[in-house]
Amino acid sequence: MARRAVGSPGSGNVTQVVERIREANAERRPLRVAAAGTWLDAGAPVDADDSLSLAGDTGIVEYVPGDLTLTARAGTTLADISAATRAHDQWLPLDPWGGDEGTLGATIATGTAGPHAHAMGQPRDVVLGMEFVTGEGRVVRSGGRVVKNVAGFDLTRLVTGSWGSLGVILEATVRLRARPQQTRTLLIPMKTTRAELSALALRLRAMPFNPIASELLNATFAARLGLPFHACLLMRAAGNEASVEAQVDRLRELGSIEDVDDSVWDRLRAAERGMDESSSWRWSRLPSEFGETWNAAEDATREMSDTFIHGNPARGIVRVVATATVKPKKLARLVRGFAGTVAVERLPRDAWSSLPTSNRTNDLARAVREKFDPAGILNPGIMGDLA
Amino acid sequence: MTAAPVPTSTPAPITPALADTLGQIVGRSRVIARSSELLVYSSDGLPGYTKIPSLAVFPGTRAEVVAVVRELAKANVPFVPRGAGTGLSGGALADGVVLLGLNRLRRIIAVDTANQLAVVEPGVVNTVLTRNVAQHGLHYAPDPSSQAACTIGGNVAENAGGPHCLKYGVTLNHVAAITAVLPDGTITSFGNAHGEPTGYDLLGAFVGSEGCFGVALDVTVRLQRNPQAVRTMLADFTSLDAAARAVSAIIAKGILPAALEMMDANTIRAVEASIYAAGYPVDAAAVLLIELDGFEAGLDDDVATVVDLCNAAGARAVRVAADEAERAKLWQGRKKAFGAMGRVSRHLVVQDAVVPRTKLPDVLALIHEIASRYNVRVCNVFHAGDGNLHPNIAYDAENADESARVHKAMREIMEACIAAGGSITGEHGVGLDKLVYMDQLFTPDTLDAMCGLRDVFDPGRRANPGKVVPIHSCREWHAAPSARRGAAT
Repeated sequence: MARRAVGSPGSGNVTQVVERIREANAERRPLRVAAAGTWLDAGAPVDADDSLSLAGDTGIVEYVPGDLTLTARAGTTLADISAATRAHDQWLPLDPWGGDEGTLGATIATGTAGPHAHAMGQPRDVVLGMEFVTGEGRVVRSGGRVVKNVAGFDLTRLVTGSWGSLGVILEATVRLRARPQQTRTLLIPMKTTRAELSALALRLRAMPFNPIASELLNATFAARLGLPFHACLLMRAAGNEASVEAQVDRLRELGSIEDVDDSVWDRLRAAERGMDESSSWRWSRLPSEFGETWNAAEDATREMSDTFIHGNPARGIVRVVATATVKPKKLARLVRGFAGTVAVERLPRDAWSSLPTSNRTNDLARAVREKFDPAGILNPGIMGDLA
Repeated sequence: MTAAPVPTSTPAPITPALADTLGQIVGRSRVIARSSELLVYSSDGLPGYTKIPSLAVFPGTRAEVVAVVRELAKANVPFVPRGAGTGLSGGALADGVVLLGLNRLRRIIAVDTANQLAVVEPGVVNTVLTRNVAQHGLHYAPDPSSQAACTIGGNVAENAGGPHCLKYGVTLNHVAAITAVLPDGTITSFGNAHGEPTGYDLLGAFVGSEGCFGVALDVTVRLQRNPQAVRTMLADFTSLDAAARAVSAIIAKGILPAALEMMDANTIRAVEASIYAAGYPVDAAAVLLIELDGFEAGLDDDVATVVDLCNAAGARAVRVAADEAERAKLWQGRKKAFGAMGRVSRHLVVQDAVVPRTKLPDVLALIHEIASRYNVRVCNVFHAGDGNLHPNIAYDAENADESARVHKAMREIMEACIAAGGSITGEHGVGLDKLVYMDQLFTPDTLDAMCGLRDVFDPGRRANPGKVVPIHSCREWHAAPSARRGAAT
């Protein structure tokens, strides 16, 4: 496949991207939009000969620590944002799976949320405004740089999580958080029977505080992180000293606790990096049904070895990362039989076509796509039958 | 190419036959056609605009709403959805078109306490929902000042906020799913109860679309656990600048208050002279109403930190409410501040600009300067924690000279907020009132894209016509593609 990449540093890139998109639009030549390429294997297969790279368009445009807001070009890596904000005891709580090598633009475009998302917010909760280019090459600046804003129709939310299929994100403004005064990470061994897990989800929701992260891991995943070979719950308490201490006391109600270094959260995200031909997908149902959701994930991967299963009980979400090749027919059967939502991130190329399409089929969504990218040149195919 | 279907025909007039058909759907007494009765619906919570609908229809069930919307689609008649009519942007005004009242749809359909969810009809009043789930230790977090009257449907349309949105987020963050009837009569749903997104975030697009994308039939909202403990403080400052600096210091410290509100001297005096007197110091230049909530353990340490930060910024005194009664009293003054202004003069114009928090001292000084120059009395009572200003001016609209000065001052204030990198509305919506500023805030291509999104939901542009995006911008979207491309290059 012949790939032609474009990308130059700085905001002068706008004209170049616009010209490139107009040209592609006129010639009906689809573009694969990409940045650092860390999530290039995710999403349904894209049918495009040319690529449009935003990786060179980097840099923090504006950072006002007192406002807890930051504006950066799409190609800026999360690591660079982390370094800049750490100096002011602040952070951007977007922590997509894989690590901080990914870019701000791709994190927003894919709507990827990591272990801190339940308490700190997913991309849709964090992005305040953006600059993007539509499939016709029009530059749109939606939202703004203030933390509260209802001016006009919400194009920012629309483009967030649209996988580049409604517009190419060039710049985004995000809301930051002050770093907590103290944090402490605990490990609690867990039984993973259906009843125990559903009860766990509800007990976590009923706690009088929100841990800033909580993730249940299966034994395989725990072992990969150097933890005991046993399913366990990782919890991160944050706040002032008295609060953290009291939170830890309450968490003792869930089982025997053991302190773990805070670095486990970065290792948790990075564990899947470099896994060959990995497949990953998320199952979700109501938190009270978390046990069923976890069981569905276990069933789906029973014959595979080295599968990571992890999830956030209070959110009702379970994510599976499998190294072995998934049998498309089996996956399709499981997806069809699951009474919830299945969001597929990665699959072998030929497995996508066997997925049932029902919950992604939406006339309105297709009309949106038609409006923002009438020639269908931006990442065509990446959202399955939607775009 | 863009294939935007230009609205093919001008909207049809409302005929007696249509009124008759609608009467058959909802019952004759639920259709109002007499102009003297329609006057009731000629304004919303924002004085200064009077628009009279040609007909008002009040369905009582979901099926009736759908039937009415389909009948209006068939007749090609525009309509304006309306909840309690407490909005502050003129968004629920119907100018010679049909007003679709949704306040009779008041059923709480389901409450799931374990998963902290409720499914409600659009006409359910904000505080009624909270009252109904209070026994389970839950509440609905967004709390606009009008919460005792405003409806969830209206909150969804405006993406409403409120003081406690600083910590808990605005309406968007508390809506998991919506079933809606689109203006063409199609029933569709966005989002899902467990909240894991798939496909485009059409839920995010629908929330805050100000009634232009369709009518919500039911809304699945998230319920918040009541905090284990609450501490409410009143900090008293002799300068606005010092109060604004205290706001930034608290946020920068990493403490996220449940609410962080500021009131200036004019507001304090208006409140204290009213029946809502809350015991605010009448000689203060500004007070901050600060609320911390959450886990009991460690909360008093955060209170001590906030007190220290206020003192360091120059507070004269910081008082912590001793009990629930004192707390309620402190809040009453804030929540009824606009009501208190009503005593000062008959008319009130209120804005909803947002500025970056660090610009608050400069912008407040500018507002003061503008007010002096035009000899008008601006009161500032606002959500300081997120920089959401509500400058308001009480005046006599019958006095032409005063009216002119008030409107010029407001315009300059809004322009100052835009120049400071802010927005024209944080929670009230654009409606009619802020249309004039949209061109200053957004580029023509951005407004075009907004119109394009609206056209996906409502190609006939019959739902809440003439609101949110200036009409001249919407026309551009429909210009011939060749002309558009020529203009852009």
